[in-house]
This record gives sequence, structure tokens and C-alpha cells, in this order.
Amino acid sequence: MKKAASIKRKTIDYIYKTAAAFFAAVSIFILAAIIFEVLKRGAGAINFSFFFHLPKPPGEEGGGIANALFGSFVITMIASLIGIPLGIMSAIYSTEFGRGTLFSRYLRFSTEILSSVPSIIIGLFVYAVVVVPMKSFSTMAGAIALSIITIPLIHRVTEEMLLMVPDTLREAGLALGVTYPVVVRKICLKSAKIGVITGILAAIARISGETAPLLFTSLNSPFWNFSLLKPMATANVTVFVYAMSPYDDWRQIAWGASFLITASILLLTIFSRILFKRVKNG
Amino acid sequence: MDKVMENAFDEIKQEETAFGNMPSNVELMVKNLSFYYGRTVALKNISFPIYNVKVTAIIGPSGCGKSTLLRCFNRIFELYSEQRAEGEILFRGQNILSKDMHLPTLRAKIGMIFQKPTPFPLSIYDNIAFGMKLYQKLSRSEIREKVEIALKKAALWDEVKDKLLEPATSLSGGQQQRLCIARAIAIEPEVLLMDEPASALDPIATAKIEELIEELSEKYTIVIVTHNMQQAARVSDYTAFLYLGELIEFAETEQFFTNPKEAKSKEYLTGRFG
Repeated sequence: MKKAASIKRKTIDYIYKTAAAFFAAVSIFILAAIIFEVLKRGAGAINFSFFFHLPKPPGEEGGGIANALFGSFVITMIASLIGIPLGIMSAIYSTEFGRGTLFSRYLRFSTEILSSVPSIIIGLFVYAVVVVPMKSFSTMAGAIALSIITIPLIHRVTEEMLLMVPDTLREAGLALGVTYPVVVRKICLKSAKIGVITGILAAIARISGETAPLLFTSLNSPFWNFSLLKPMATANVTVFVYAMSPYDDWRQIAWGASFLITASILLLTIFSRILFKRVKNG
Repeated sequence: MDKVMENAFDEIKQEETAFGNMPSNVELMVKNLSFYYGRTVALKNISFPIYNVKVTAIIGPSGCGKSTLLRCFNRIFELYSEQRAEGEILFRGQNILSKDMHLPTLRAKIGMIFQKPTPFPLSIYDNIAFGMKLYQKLSRSEIREKVEIALKKAALWDEVKDKLLEPATSLSGGQQQRLCIARAIAIEPEVLLMDEPASALDPIATAKIEELIEELSEKYTIVIVTHNMQQAARVSDYTAFLYLGELIEFAETEQFFTNPKEAKSKEYLTGRFG
């Protein structure tokens, strides 16, 4: 009787363990498959003209997506410059200066909601409030859309990092006669710094993969664009447009761009992990 | 009430007519202090003096309000919006609890050491220089000199003089606690509040801290919270015994431990509760 129960227990245990290991393997396999596929199809598209030439009409040899790579970089940069300070500041408010207030609770809740708003809706919103009044798709509109996506991400990670700073450290600072803003700046933010930087890198990785909000905001362009007020090509939108085109050479370029996007996000994520680990271990 | 306390109150009463000046040997005068965590009463109408350049120990069982009382002297409790103090604590004729009190100035005069060491995520050197830089415009060499003096006063200099630029968190617990003491005295306070400063330390580190308290007591007014009665007996000149938020007895330490007046004190000392 006792032995039978033990066999049953061990069997159940074995089934659970195997199932868990199987599903873990599946999720890793999916990632590996994506990377493999993108690498296989995309790596061949990457050459000198891919990086340094403008797109060419289908059928012509040697077109590139130089303008789209530049566009992605510029839009991501501007979005970060807007979104990072706003996210950090609002997190400092909710965890430090506004601690315990009703407003800070609303703030926390609303950033949570904002972070779960589908990015296509953020794109539509920016289309309505920026693109329509300005009567043009533009670099700026794309950057604003992406910055709206970064704010809650940065807010959240900064908040988590600041909450990890023990109150005893704040008390120790205040007990020296240091004012609260100085305690926040020199002690709390300093303790939270690495975590926040990691979060920033993760947020940049996230927005460099966003396409939907760019479709209605920065749109696309076959030319070089150095204006904030004109439509701007990006790698993501290029993938979207080229991959759906009927031309083989364009689809090839779409694979190349996909490979590049995947690789840069992967590297950014790995880098932020390494950074975080190194600092966490002292 | 014992004699010491009565005397202090008599003096205070006399002085009150002369615009609330305190007798010269009283550094801090607690008057009718009550404290609330939200609606919970933590301290009930407490009054007693803290004498100049003496060590006053606050003792009592866990949860009796010792730390709460200590945290009133520099108003550090105000970091938490639901905490509130009523009554008066006079410090040089000024009520610490009044709204006009400039907190950074108050806290520069009344330093605090916490239960667990609280080194900032900075180097050993910068931990000491941190508070100092805020009050005075000092040259680099002056800061260096003052850091050295503070570390020497805290009996830590010899152990850290060769690694001042290493992170403070690399020190041992006992060293970190002495670093915190050095950091507090670097800004030249008059009063040092210590909240069970040795309770997180091993016996050897504890002995060092106690030795240090003894040395510091020649220059500073020290208020120390401890749940360790032997420690209170060893280091303090006066003892305040709290129980359930009330001050049961305030007396000279020797008298309190050898001949307590209150029944509750006797029970506590003989280990019947707490």
C-alpha cells in the first residue's frame, strides 16, 4: 500500500518535471528558430550597399536602406531623449517626493495602464494630435509616439530600483541634516543607477522593435531626410513595406533589415544583462 | 518620581517664568510628549530631561516606544506621513517640534546612529565628507584633515587609512558602524542619538562601540536606546525606563539599577517580563 503510494507520487513528480522541461525547451527553441531563420535569410542581404545606399526601384541592382537605418537611429534617439527624463522624473516623484500621497498612487496606476495600451493606438493618438494638425507625417511625430511607449517602461524600472533603496539609507542621509532633494540625488539615485541604466537599455531595445506606431507618424521615405518635420524612413517600416511587396529583391532587403534589427536588440539586451550582473555582484 | 526628575522639573518651572530658558546642565527637555502612528498611541505624555555631556540610556521591553522616543529628537519620523508627535522637546530654549524649526540645522546639531550600519554607496572617504561639504565651504586639504580627525575620533583611522577610496560597504559590520559614528561627528553635532548601535554586531565589535561611546561621552551628550540592560548599566549616567509607551522611571543609572523606585522597574530588572 505504502509502496504503491510512493510509486504514484514519483510518477506524478516525473510527469511534472518532464512537462516543465519540455515547455521550457519549446520556448527556447522558438527563439532559436527565429534567430536561425532571420540569420539564414537575412545575412546574405547584408553588404556594403545595404548599409550605405538609398533604396532602388525593384529590379535594379544594389539598393540599400541607409536612410532607414539613419531614420531608426534618429527616431530612437529623440524618443529616448524625451521619454527617459520624463519617466525618471515621474518615478522620482511617485516614490520620493510624493510618497504616500493619493496623487502618487494614481500616477503609478496610470503608468501601468499606459504601458499596456497597444502601441498601434499610441500611433493613432499621435497621428490625431501631431500629424493631422501639422498636416504632415514627420520624424518628430514618430519620436513622440515612441517616447510615449518609453515613459511607463522607464517609470516602472526607476520606481522599482528606488523602492529597493532601503528607507534606513534615506533616514541616514536626512539625519546628517541633508535636505531631501540632495538625499534623493546623491544617495537614492546613486544606489539605483545601474538598475535604471539597465532599464533604459531594455526600453531602447523595446522601442527599436516597434513598427505599428511609426506607420501613422513618421511613415516612410525613399530619400535621405534630415528634417524633423518631414516623413522619415525607418528599418522597421521598411521591413513592413518590403516584406509585403511582390518583388524578390525587396523581400531580400526586408530579411536583411529584420536580421539587423534582431541582432541589435539581442546585443543590447545581452549587454544590459551583463552590465546588471556585473554591478549586482559588486 | 525620583529626586533627579523633581529637581529638573522645579528648575524648569522656575525658568519657565523667565521665558522658557533651560537650566544650563539640561541639553534637551522632553515635556508632555505623545506620539502617534496613525491612530495608535505609541508614547503617552512623557517628560524628562537629558543632561549635558552625559549618557542617557532609554531602556524597556520591545515595542515600548524606545526608538520612537529617540526618533523625535531629530524629527526623523517625519519621513513617514502617518507619524505624528505632540508636546514639546526643548533644545536651547527652542521647541524642536515646532513648525519653525529648520530641520537641516537641527539635524546637524543632533546626529543619529542607527541600529544597522547605514554606509552610503560611496567610498569610505566620501561617506565622511558627504555631510561636511554641505555646511561649510572647505578646501580639499581641510576636508581631508577633518575626515582624518573624525575617523580617529571614531577609532577607525588605523584600520582604514590605507583604503579610504574603497567602497564603504567593503568594511565589516563593526567597522561600518564606527564609520557611521565618524560620519555623524564629522559635522560637529552636540548630541548623538544612538538606536541600539551594537545590536547587529558581534561581542568584540560591541565592546569596541561601547568603548567608543565612553570616549565620546566626554564631549557629547549621548542618548542611547538599548534593550540590553547590562549595556545600559555599563555605558550610561542616566536611565529612562519605558513600558508600553509610558515613562515608568527616570533616574541616575546607578540608582536605577541598584535601587529602583517603581514596582514595574523592579519587575523588569529582575526579569519578570520584557
